[in-house]
Amino acid sequence: MPCDFLTVERYDKIVLAKVTKDRLLDPISINALADELNSLVDKHMHISLILELSEVSFLSSAMLGKLVAVYKNVIKLSKGRMAITGVKPAIMPLFKITQLDKMMQFAPDAQEVILLYRRKPL
Amino acid sequence: MPLEVLPGPPPPIGGCLFARSWPSRIDHKQEVLDILVAELLGRGFITAEEEPWAVLVLDEVVVNAMLHGNEGDPTLSVVIALFADDTGRWVMTVRDQGQGFDPASLPDPEDPASLLLEHGRGIRIMKEWLADLVYYERGACAWLARQRADRPIAAPPESP
Repeated sequence: MPCDFLTVERYDKIVLAKVTKDRLLDPISINALADELNSLVDKHMHISLILELSEVSFLSSAMLGKLVAVYKNVIKLSKGRMAITGVKPAIMPLFKITQLDKMMQFAPDAQEVILLYRRKPL
Repeated sequence: MPLEVLPGPPPPIGGCLFARSWPSRIDHKQEVLDILVAELLGRGFITAEEEPWAVLVLDEVVVNAMLHGNEGDPTLSVVIALFADDTGRWVMTVRDQGQGFDPASLPDPEDPASLLLEHGRGIRIMKEWLADLVYYERGACAWLARQRADRPIAAPPESP
């Protein structure tokens, strides 16, 4: 099923994927988003994936699990890197208590990460 | 702290404020969550700021009951009840018709090897927000408790 709540901008191998949905709770949305992100990863070797979540207010542990799967694909299959940006303060504790903050890179602003990735290409 | 899964029924709690049964249909989940969150907000048991956590925790427990406990069988029900106990806590029980589960089958969220697993974070998240999470009836009845937002625990008096 296509993901109609993800906008994608490409800057060479830097891919900015922005979620434009408030709730990532239902299995259909979660699977559609994960499939779309994985298809982006499949298309790009050495991808620099930036996932922008500033519009997301609710997400489930199933979504966290899918993000781990995408992260593993980025690192292992694409030999790339991944950052998550714009996470709202109310949901940042989710990433902390599940220790995903130690595994993935987080930043408040996507543009900041784009500049960083441009300065340090893979 | 490992998750407690006890064989017997939950202890009596007090007056039941709300009880309702739903078929195990995941496409009804959003309706269930909306009703439960409205109950908690409407009674002043949680604040608006707590809503994202409440949604998340209730999503976990309802999905577990429908998909794992009842294995997605729409002929089986999930019964959810809300209570307020005399210690100022709200308690919610979520009972499915499954056989329960073995807590040893759950990944240890503290184990670094679990970090890359794509499942097993739900219980950790629920325990973070709740004051108490216990499973009774071998895992078929989740017991969730948290201090009521409208009855915060009084701060201890300052020493002179």
